[in-house]
Amino acid sequence: MNLRAPNTWTVAGLSLFVGALVGVSAALLESASRPWRIGDFIPATINRPGAAVAEVEVLQTVYNFGTVGLGVTGFHEFVIGNTGTAPLSLKRGATSCICTVSDFETIEGKSSVAEKIVAPGATTKVKVQWRGKGESGPFRQKATILTNDPRREEIAFVVEGSVVPTWKAAPEAIVLTNVSRSSGQRATVKIFTFGPQPPEVDTLTVSHTTGPQAAQLFSLSTALLDPAEIKAETGATGGFLLSVDVNPGLPIGPLRHTIQMVFRIPEEVTAEVPLVGEVTGDLALAGTAWDSSRQALSLGTVSSRSGLHTQLFLTVKGPHRIAVRPVVREVVPQSLEVLIGEAKPVGNGAVLRIPITVSVAPGSPTVNHLCSPQAPAGKIVLETAHPDTPTLTIPVCIAIGP
Amino acid sequence: MMTCRLFYFAVCAANVLFYGATSVLFVARQACADESTRAVAVATAAPTRGLDVTDAIVETFQQRNGPIFEDWKKPRALLVITGELNGYIEPCGCTGKENQKGGLSRRQNFLRAVQAAGWPMLAVDIGGQVRRFGRQSEVKFQSIADGLRAMGYSGVGFGSDDLRLPAEELIAAVAAVGDQPSPFMSANVGLLGLDANITPRLRIVEVGGLRIGITSVLGEKEAGQIRNDAIEILPAAKALEGVAAELKNSQCSHQVLLSFSSPEETKTLSARYPQFDIVATAGGADEPPAQLTQLPGRAQLVELGHKGMFAVAIGFFDNPALPMRSQRVPLDARWGESKDMIRLLGHYQSQLESLGLTGLGLVAIRHPSGRRFAGSAACADCHKRAFEIWKDTPHATALQTLEEQFPSRDSDPECLSCHVVGWAPQRFEPFEGGFSGMASTPHLAHQGCENCHGPAASHAAVERGDVRASLTERDRLRQELVLSIDTPEGKQRATNNCLECHDLDNSPAFEFDTYWPQVEHSTTAPPDNQPASE
Repeated sequence: MNLRAPNTWTVAGLSLFVGALVGVSAALLESASRPWRIGDFIPATINRPGAAVAEVEVLQTVYNFGTVGLGVTGFHEFVIGNTGTAPLSLKRGATSCICTVSDFETIEGKSSVAEKIVAPGATTKVKVQWRGKGESGPFRQKATILTNDPRREEIAFVVEGSVVPTWKAAPEAIVLTNVSRSSGQRATVKIFTFGPQPPEVDTLTVSHTTGPQAAQLFSLSTALLDPAEIKAETGATGGFLLSVDVNPGLPIGPLRHTIQMVFRIPEEVTAEVPLVGEVTGDLALAGTAWDSSRQALSLGTVSSRSGLHTQLFLTVKGPHRIAVRPVVREVVPQSLEVLIGEAKPVGNGAVLRIPITVSVAPGSPTVNHLCSPQAPAGKIVLETAHPDTPTLTIPVCIAIGP
Repeated sequence: MMTCRLFYFAVCAANVLFYGATSVLFVARQACADESTRAVAVATAAPTRGLDVTDAIVETFQQRNGPIFEDWKKPRALLVITGELNGYIEPCGCTGKENQKGGLSRRQNFLRAVQAAGWPMLAVDIGGQVRRFGRQSEVKFQSIADGLRAMGYSGVGFGSDDLRLPAEELIAAVAAVGDQPSPFMSANVGLLGLDANITPRLRIVEVGGLRIGITSVLGEKEAGQIRNDAIEILPAAKALEGVAAELKNSQCSHQVLLSFSSPEETKTLSARYPQFDIVATAGGADEPPAQLTQLPGRAQLVELGHKGMFAVAIGFFDNPALPMRSQRVPLDARWGESKDMIRLLGHYQSQLESLGLTGLGLVAIRHPSGRRFAGSAACADCHKRAFEIWKDTPHATALQTLEEQFPSRDSDPECLSCHVVGWAPQRFEPFEGGFSGMASTPHLAHQGCENCHGPAASHAAVERGDVRASLTERDRLRQELVLSIDTPEGKQRATNNCLECHDLDNSPAFEFDTYWPQVEHSTTAPPDNQPASE
């Protein structure tokens, strides 16, 4: 085999050409897959040998205040160092809600923006202040400092903790959902205090928001909380259990009262806890088709071909709940089929639920009871055996079409 | 000849080295640039803004509240968690809506942006939609439930304030409608009893080829605060036994526990049921941390903040080195407004208007002073200078700002209480003789004199001569209305009064010393038409 060496210069030139081609292709391929973007590159000052640059050094960016009193101002000084060779400029950035950053001064003749300059090798403190304004409970807020360090243009300092009030009610309000008019109910609320001494209760009153007679229908009492209960509430130093006995006989309608308490810890504190709720009758209806605003079973327009099947629940509370056994006495339109199911207790048994199935069989005749002046409501009339509500009439808004 | 050959081989070797070096450099640079290159390429498709939102707004809020999904590539599935709306269905706009976060409208636009980016997504909510009791909260809960359905939520838990509402109202809002299942669920809460099966105890959702099991619980401490006999609540830990076993056997890729309880109680539940890798809790700080908290085991704790200001998004990836990433999403103006949710809010406001104060069950309460209101115009008869200053302040057009909002909120007691005369601002209730509507009490519109100085009907009547009173009685009535800031106690009293409306939600920047000069009308001189000797 006669191996003839090619011309050296040709090989060298060809190699350089192929090499350049591969290099250019590689560069093009890469630049296509990574588009040019402003900010992709570190400023020239960093790359320029010997150029002076400010460099931020921060050892701590999160500080936990622990517990802070309501209305109390707390602050923390974060340390920022400049390990670079140029002066470090710090400016206030955005802060969330109730944080303030202080100790920044305007440099006369140089800058109209509040700014702080840190010499190379020096450190400074930035004071982040928290005001315990507003609600008690945990908080976390952020304050941002802008720098001229191209590697770290923004530093976010976070302060967190928990605001502790003078006193606290748990829950915040006494809510009595659907109190039975015919039976009493007891509700309790824990009052935690954060003073130097356990609370001594002086007076308890219920506001007369719906008349003085209503206030007489409540009985109030207190008992000191167990140490374990107090310990479970962060920062609490004392507390008592406030009990409210709601006696039978309240008028049906909304309950809107305020319980006013005066206690000493040792300074005198006047505190209020809302007492709200609704007093209702013993019988109530629930279900997706039950329209509580109109107090009607709203079934809409039903096709006679497909029919309808829906379920309602009759809930019964109060001392007579066991006696309630509903029986269907009348149905309009007659094509409605109404079946009463078995009564079952809910939870602790203070309420019974009785399912009521309402159906329209396919092929039922067309009717219109859409609850308008021209098409008055249909109805389902039940005999309940409840002494106060022996008959329950359920308005039904329905049209059966073809 | 030999020299030429050597030169030839040297050139070949140099070229091989050159190719090799070029290739190594290329591969190395590609590898180094891998994450950022791909991120930039993908970032253009990442959901970072609402539709039709301008670049300027997006840049402003990126700077203010941080960028969203920076360096993210498309996840296999994105789990969006929200919760603790606390009744803040929409930012009130008191300090400029753009300065406030939250609201269902922005939330829907955020979810739509995720869907528009083609990211497979499911949304869940830990509950806590309302925080008050009464007819308005019932109507609001219904509206929010409708909104969550419209947004396609896959799972929604119950908060303690939700469960204080009457069971019949809750059922109407949350139960399945026709063949549409209810998004609400709970392992331990049963409306009319757990065996009534009005809401399911768990749900398994398939998204992006992943099976995700979801359940929710109400914590024991929260449950202990509820007095609602029509609702059955089991202890959370006990109720989870059966549900956790069912989820364990369901071949889920991820299991999510929505725990409406304190972080401490949630952590205890997580330790007992380590199968849940995502555990969302209530009761954290106002602003959730930027990163999820790693709990012992594999669980990640998700805090959501309060008032629905944030959503937390968790991306699931096929990358074994980085199988999961999270993003705290501030629901700020970069997401724009959703017409569907604005329509829903309009319907909510219409309901409030048609119910009226009586229909909402609002009973006027007695003012602590026992006095009645006269209206700001009555003050103008004597206090001309103060009135002239007041009528050029925003206080004098406070009700108008509610009327001009879209949808208007001039029938919303939660807004009215700080925009008219004679209401208890933090209780959202009218005082006896306070504003009850433009038809009946137009003289009590706007934020007037008596909200700071106290009801002045008796004082005005005596000064006008409508009622006869002794000089002592007249002076007493005058003195009752004096609000002086010349003493520390007086200034504190005035500040506390301002804070009733200029609270953290509606006026976070409020400082008495900076706000007072804007409305300052104090004078040591007597009223304009009274002799100095008086």
